[in-house]
Amino acid sequence: MSAVGTHSKGAGGRREASVLLAAGNTRLVSIFGSIDDDGERWVHYIVDVDSHEYRLFSEQVKGSIASVTAAAPGAAWYERELHDLFGIEVEGHPSLQPLVFHESWPADIHPRRKGQVGGDYRFLKVQGEGVCEVPVGPVHAGIIEPGHFRFSVVGDTVLHLELRHFYTHKGIEAHFEGVPVMSGMMLAESVSGDNCFAHAVAYCQALENAFGVSVPPRGRALRLIGLELERMLAHIADVGALCGDVAFTVPATYTARLKEALLQASARVTGTRWWRGVARPGGVTRELAKEDARALGSAVAAVAHDFAELAQMILETPSVLNRFESTGVLSSNVARALGVVGPVARASGLKADVRRDHPYGRYRTLTLDVPHYSSGDVLARARIRMDETAMSARLIADAVETLPAGAIAAAGPWDGSAEGFSAVESPRGELLYFARVRDGRIRRCHIKSPSFQNWPALPLAMPGNIIADFPLINKSFNLSYSGCDR
Amino acid sequence: MIFDVAARSLTSKSVLIPVESLLGDCSGSRMPAVDPGHLSFDSARQAIESCPTSALRMVAEGERRQFIMDYGECIGCGYCLGVGDGLMRPAGKVLHCGVARAALIRRWDVATGEELLADDLVKEGAAEEIRRLFGRALNIRQVDAGSCNGCEAEIGALTSPYYDLERFGIHFVASPKHADMLLVTGPVTHNMAEALRNTYEATPSPRLVVAVGACGCSGGIFSGSYAVRGGIDAVIPVDAYIPGCPPTPAMLLTGILRVLGAEMRER
Repeated sequence: MSAVGTHSKGAGGRREASVLLAAGNTRLVSIFGSIDDDGERWVHYIVDVDSHEYRLFSEQVKGSIASVTAAAPGAAWYERELHDLFGIEVEGHPSLQPLVFHESWPADIHPRRKGQVGGDYRFLKVQGEGVCEVPVGPVHAGIIEPGHFRFSVVGDTVLHLELRHFYTHKGIEAHFEGVPVMSGMMLAESVSGDNCFAHAVAYCQALENAFGVSVPPRGRALRLIGLELERMLAHIADVGALCGDVAFTVPATYTARLKEALLQASARVTGTRWWRGVARPGGVTRELAKEDARALGSAVAAVAHDFAELAQMILETPSVLNRFESTGVLSSNVARALGVVGPVARASGLKADVRRDHPYGRYRTLTLDVPHYSSGDVLARARIRMDETAMSARLIADAVETLPAGAIAAAGPWDGSAEGFSAVESPRGELLYFARVRDGRIRRCHIKSPSFQNWPALPLAMPGNIIADFPLINKSFNLSYSGCDR
Repeated sequence: MIFDVAARSLTSKSVLIPVESLLGDCSGSRMPAVDPGHLSFDSARQAIESCPTSALRMVAEGERRQFIMDYGECIGCGYCLGVGDGLMRPAGKVLHCGVARAALIRRWDVATGEELLADDLVKEGAAEEIRRLFGRALNIRQVDAGSCNGCEAEIGALTSPYYDLERFGIHFVASPKHADMLLVTGPVTHNMAEALRNTYEATPSPRLVVAVGACGCSGGIFSGSYAVRGGIDAVIPVDAYIPGCPPTPAMLLTGILRVLGAEMRER
């Protein structure tokens, strides 16, 4: 199975998890709540020990729980979410302010709690001579998702940035409950629209782990093609957007063209531009004929070739380097403390990549040389995306050439009861689904999104930078709002 | 270097898709179409059972039954394609982009297979006035009222060299105060409802509102979630709707041009 870990249930689950987190070789992956058949509340901790073993600890909540934020600062948002969604009191949390529910949230609308939720929110007040507050959002200037940024500046220089998100909170985890496992696919595909295939595969893998179903080799190879294609789309678009943000519009437009070429190639061979509806528990739904595989392979190769040349030109342009270098530095210490994942982590000296650390599907047969940089600036995050685009193209070429014969999907006993979790390396980093199934229907689904993990790191890359560089720095993180807010 | 990039751009071949190939094209969207030749009570029932949303349904009108395909709720999952004796097939063209909500709901008489046509298309008022004042020049402010970002990814593609919305005199602008049209994706969440209303109020009249995507048209698969108010028209008045999950750039362009009446004038 893919990326399976051990599961401990019992009274000391939280303590065990916090001991591991304090020891230093363990990264916090996720914290989430659930309610069992007797109406009792549980809290679950998923950690990653020594970067190669996922462990899940569960504990029934009696009264309140103690915060683990001191040992693992990345826990802060998870515990606030737990408080908002499950009404669990977290003792010793540095700031248990509402995260999910805003002031305007209607009274008596909550999946599990009664009365008014949300309530007042206080932004940190930065005081001193010449300090101004600049509010930005939720409605932004570009074609992007909604979120609120509150800057405290002196002149152009940012002293402090505070995020207020969850404008796109759709209650997706609760909406999963009661849905037949097959229909859950559609919800998973609509958590973060530009990473829809990664979400679909992570959801499928959680179910496959739960029910002990093994995806046939051809199905695994086709999934890899989809996952790497999605990574190419995301990274190419990100590099283009970074160029756009420094007014280098020609490569910005050129990348839009490369991206569209990949989308059209996908549509021609799969009937869908974004690989929606392609994954299903047990494998994939679409066969890829030999000539279609070849056509897709050559489209990918052509785009990768053009993009590599373009990337080289971008990196040789002094006005670009001037803006990218030493801008928005996220130090490796901060990245590690917050448990940052994906390209952002790899640009700050961490070598985390689920494909290598917790291999799944076809990645288990591959040896990956994961690129990483240590400078933690916009340039490092751009270079990671350039390198990984080339790597994804090579992985697709290899999969297309050595596409195994046989079935594309395995049948499953999906109408039973089971639970499991699994992770994939989405374009934004570690994406994990936990699924509990009762009689073929989802009883609880938790989504650990890389964006939820990485958003708290963005404000720590801002101080000392000028506010005009914020769009560039934000774009270099390129986090999903909907994926975070769910 | 910067000049290499410019040189490369100048020597690239144009990829612009002519407008006549784009109008109504829905390839890559997974939208289904109804083949009335295969419509029967049984095939309709099978298709309805396979549909995980309520896009496919049947209503009784006296003695007669109507088979309904609501594009405003369809997410293109494709589950209906394999069942129902060939009743549902992948659509080649979807002309119902940029129309009134009622026009997204197509109906067929189950007994005769005859389509019962809805005659109400776009409300003409605001569109007419914007045409009169600005010709075809149109400023669009895009608003995400809670979407998964799938629609945004496709709306963003409209400015790419393949679609080049600017060739029609249509621009995306940074503020609702500069906009003639709000292009809104959904579903509208509780946390975004107030911001959406404020954005609408900030848009000067005459203004058009176009709801985009299954979630924008109807709330889509998030209908019924505690955190979701519904489609865009649950919060602000909507002039026209573009279906799809997500709508492709061609469908978006078809919808926007239809709202402006440009498509009709060019034909």
